[in-house]
Amino acid sequence: MEREQAEPPSFNRRSLLQAMAASLALAAANGRRAEADERALPYVNAPEYVVPGKPKWYATSVRFAGYLQPVLGKSIAGRPVKLEGNDQHPATGGATDLFMQAALLGLYDPERSQVPLHLGQPATWEAFDTDVFRRTAEIDRAQGGGFRLLTGAVSSPTLLRQIGDLRKRWPKMRWHVTEPIKEDARLAATNRVLGRPLQMLPDFSAAATVVSLDDDFLGPGPRQAMQARAWSKRQPRLFVAEPTPSATGTRAGDRLIVPSARVQILAQAIAGAAGVGGAAPAELAAHEKKWVDDAVAALGKGDGLVTVGAQYDEALHALVLLINERLGAFGKALRFTDPILAAPPDGKDSLGVLVDDMKAGRVTTLLILEAEPVQATPAALDFRSALEKVAFSVHAGLYADATANACHWHVPVQHELESWTDGRAPDGTAAIVQPLIRPFLNVRSPHVVLDRWRGGSASDHDLVQASWQTGWQEALLAGFVADSAPAAVTPTLIDRTISLPDPPSSDGLVVEARPDATQWDGRYGHNSWLQETPKPLIQVTWGNVVRVSPALARERALSNGDEVRLRFGNRELLGAAWIMPGQEAHTVVIGTPDAFAFLDSWRQAGVRLEKTGKTRVIASSQPIQDMGEFDYVRTVESAEEAAAQHKDDVSFYPPRKWDSPSWGMSIDLDRCIGCNACSVACMAENNVPVVGAELVAQGRQMYWLRIDHYTEGEPDAPRHHFQPVPCMHCEQAPCEMGCPVNAAVHSPDGLNLQVYNRCIGTRTCSAYCPYKVRRFNWFEYTGHDPDSIRAMRNPDVTVRSRGVMEKCTYCIQRISGARIAAKIAGRPIRDGEVVTACQQACPTEAIVFGDVTDPDSAVSRRKAGPRNYSLIEDANTRPRTTYLARVRK
Amino acid sequence: MPQIFTASADTRLRTAALLLAIVFVGSLVFTAGFMNSTYLTSVGWVATQPVPFSHQHHVGGLGIDCRYCHASVEVSAQASLPATHVCMTCHSEIWTGAPMLAPVRASLADNKPLHWQRVARLPDYVYFNHSIHISRGIACAECHGRVDQMPLLARAKPFTMEFCLDCHRDPGPHLRPRDQVTRMDWSGWHQDPQWAHKQLQAFGIQPDKLTNCYICHR
Repeated sequence: MEREQAEPPSFNRRSLLQAMAASLALAAANGRRAEADERALPYVNAPEYVVPGKPKWYATSVRFAGYLQPVLGKSIAGRPVKLEGNDQHPATGGATDLFMQAALLGLYDPERSQVPLHLGQPATWEAFDTDVFRRTAEIDRAQGGGFRLLTGAVSSPTLLRQIGDLRKRWPKMRWHVTEPIKEDARLAATNRVLGRPLQMLPDFSAAATVVSLDDDFLGPGPRQAMQARAWSKRQPRLFVAEPTPSATGTRAGDRLIVPSARVQILAQAIAGAAGVGGAAPAELAAHEKKWVDDAVAALGKGDGLVTVGAQYDEALHALVLLINERLGAFGKALRFTDPILAAPPDGKDSLGVLVDDMKAGRVTTLLILEAEPVQATPAALDFRSALEKVAFSVHAGLYADATANACHWHVPVQHELESWTDGRAPDGTAAIVQPLIRPFLNVRSPHVVLDRWRGGSASDHDLVQASWQTGWQEALLAGFVADSAPAAVTPTLIDRTISLPDPPSSDGLVVEARPDATQWDGRYGHNSWLQETPKPLIQVTWGNVVRVSPALARERALSNGDEVRLRFGNRELLGAAWIMPGQEAHTVVIGTPDAFAFLDSWRQAGVRLEKTGKTRVIASSQPIQDMGEFDYVRTVESAEEAAAQHKDDVSFYPPRKWDSPSWGMSIDLDRCIGCNACSVACMAENNVPVVGAELVAQGRQMYWLRIDHYTEGEPDAPRHHFQPVPCMHCEQAPCEMGCPVNAAVHSPDGLNLQVYNRCIGTRTCSAYCPYKVRRFNWFEYTGHDPDSIRAMRNPDVTVRSRGVMEKCTYCIQRISGARIAAKIAGRPIRDGEVVTACQQACPTEAIVFGDVTDPDSAVSRRKAGPRNYSLIEDANTRPRTTYLARVRK
Repeated sequence: MPQIFTASADTRLRTAALLLAIVFVGSLVFTAGFMNSTYLTSVGWVATQPVPFSHQHHVGGLGIDCRYCHASVEVSAQASLPATHVCMTCHSEIWTGAPMLAPVRASLADNKPLHWQRVARLPDYVYFNHSIHISRGIACAECHGRVDQMPLLARAKPFTMEFCLDCHRDPGPHLRPRDQVTRMDWSGWHQDPQWAHKQLQAFGIQPDKLTNCYICHR
């Protein structure tokens, strides 16, 4: 100012004031409001049929172990946010499994490989193309000699066509297949008994009695959704003989605990009783005999089916085929088609042949297309050192995994939700996979990667469309190619002489490897939804345990978490012990990803187990699973017997009249197979955060819907129950009384709700809740999410931050959507219009949701049944979520 | 024993107490004023837009209906902003060379969206749905004000929870005939209280339910 005053004034008082006013106005215009700016980017050319703010649904599929799992993908503003079952699909009818639900996270996973790697260093696709071009010139000269292609199981017609074209160009190339969890024995058995390899398609809805010889047909696997849906339609009488509890075993009316070596004896006994010729008489223990007699009697009533676990050898499968033929199951409860997965050219030892050739130096170029042979193959094969002998190795996959690191090149491929491909569902129905989103990383479709080796430059869309000359539009709309399942084959027996080998040795401890319920063969190790999902029956998250029987635990003084060392030959495996009630005394069970480095097959006798003396913290979501004297899960002798011991509407207050609609849920515990599809669906739908092993171990997991597992009775042979527990939405909710800031409120349509902005985090509501379904955000779980995870979030549900309580809302966003749609249309909400995420996901239709004030709604009809009961009835909370008791047989 | 307090101690105490009271009341008044200030509510503030689009000209002057550009307002939660293509339906014919419209032409040419600054927006935890409000006859002007008089668009109403609740508590006076929702000037409209009552009945609007948390928050 002084300087200005010192200078001769160049303007008068009036112009100075004008300038001041103008600069003030400018300052105001440049000023910021308290609110940060938010940009809005409309389309340049709005695509047809896209309404901003409305989700679009696309019928597509996700892949699992070579098969396709049909899904409907929900896309909002061009981003896939939820996958649901395709209710029109002939195989699944809308059923899902947890792997299918979690595929969404696979697309957005920030750990996905994003750039080609050459010798571990980031490189460009151009450099890769140049390298491949140089290489293919050499392969051309050798007519494909020395070139090998290794894939996982393949059902994709396009990929098969591409491989066929490649083999035409390079007649000396060879194609190998590796699928770590195999089902070869089934095909081999049909080949032996029926003269050609046939796919067995058991139809559990057509069977009145099913005898499962250690076959976990309701357990995890590509057929889980399809088989569980079929099973739930009729719920046949179930006899299961198995060494360790499985999802199928928990549903059995008669469960026999036997070592796996006895399974063959049981099969022989059933064969003998069923009149299969040539079956050797079997010596059975008394309890085994009773089980076999009961099973044979039930099978004799007609519509019987016997199944045996895929891991057992060919001869046993062959014997069971003969039993089924004798039972008249062929064409009814057991149908056959041509194999759905392409047969590996070298038979079931396809990978072994490759490794031998690699070790012998006969392989100069190896292209590994979406397979993980370094980690997910038996260690004895020693794929890694064989790979070192290959001059030029390329790995194309979603992750820069162990195989990628062992190869010269790693190139990232597209996730199926962002690419075009095709394949077949487990029943053989073909489907075209369409992308829900344009790839947001610099990745290529596996089809394109393979096409470049032929020198092609086609897009994945064109490559796939070339396989489907007709019916392209219809297939994309429906999510499958109508009537494309291979025709049923009526086989004729050619070989009735089955000589079973001697039962395998069961000296000492027998270690068995089972497919991991949340990691499968380890391929879902990156998926944090699946890592945090407790493995059914053991309720352990983030890693695996060594399952020991209660008898062994008593003998060796083991308790949960004790570190044990399994020794066999010169191999050893360290793990934490976990006592599995209902497991055969001398059987020890490990999960598949751990088993590859330890076992050469699925079973090994003569293993030594010793305590190391250390203990490990196990991130278990439910440390206590013994039901004790409580009746969380009730069992009735017959469907007509009433489960509720007293009327649950005892109150000093006059009954409250609820307006319609008023929401409620019914969960049939007889149908629940504990698969966790609902739990993962809930995580995806409701933006439920993942907290990690350390916090799960502290009991701070965030699932809005958990599946409890209970054992009832003696630990050596208990009954197993699953119980999905969402918020009960109590009419007399204790949580609402506890909240000092009125953040826990009740809506007029019967929902118990949490108002996040009011919550100050006293956690009183959680302390008052008898069901422990309220979850507290101890830390900022969502605020530091990478951009891709933010893009995945369901925009219809608030993303919670640190310090607030949250819980199941009965998918209020879906209720609101249905309410608004109904109001605009001027009609009431129809029964079945609101489908919660868990209900949609359930493969066995155990969950029913709807208006409880309407006596004709599906949920009211279920609740009116005699098996209906409330959890912790004594608390008189009048829960809206009620259960149907289990029936004993 | 000497005196503990000086003669002026009482005066000083009273002054301090008065000052404290003034500061306390003053801070309350300031907070209340601040909370309602346009600094926080953004009412009347004009954001810097890539193109100085005038609703006054297009709505007031030319009489273009709201739904021509905000096409999804009747069927979706979002009213949506027009695609560049919509702007160019007219501006490929008129004002084709106007320097003011250069960003629009560039957007179409480069296939890059225009970066508008949002004016009417709610926090992420509020789930407002346009379609249900339109179908009930809540006029656009009810929340967005007389955009036909705004050369540059600014927020007309404070989008506070209080503003929403005022209407949800007593929606009757805010209802308009469904077929005229995009009308801007309602000054000549005298609502018959009976008509509003009938509308509430016909739509089954229960104001006591409309103020429940779950109506807007999830």
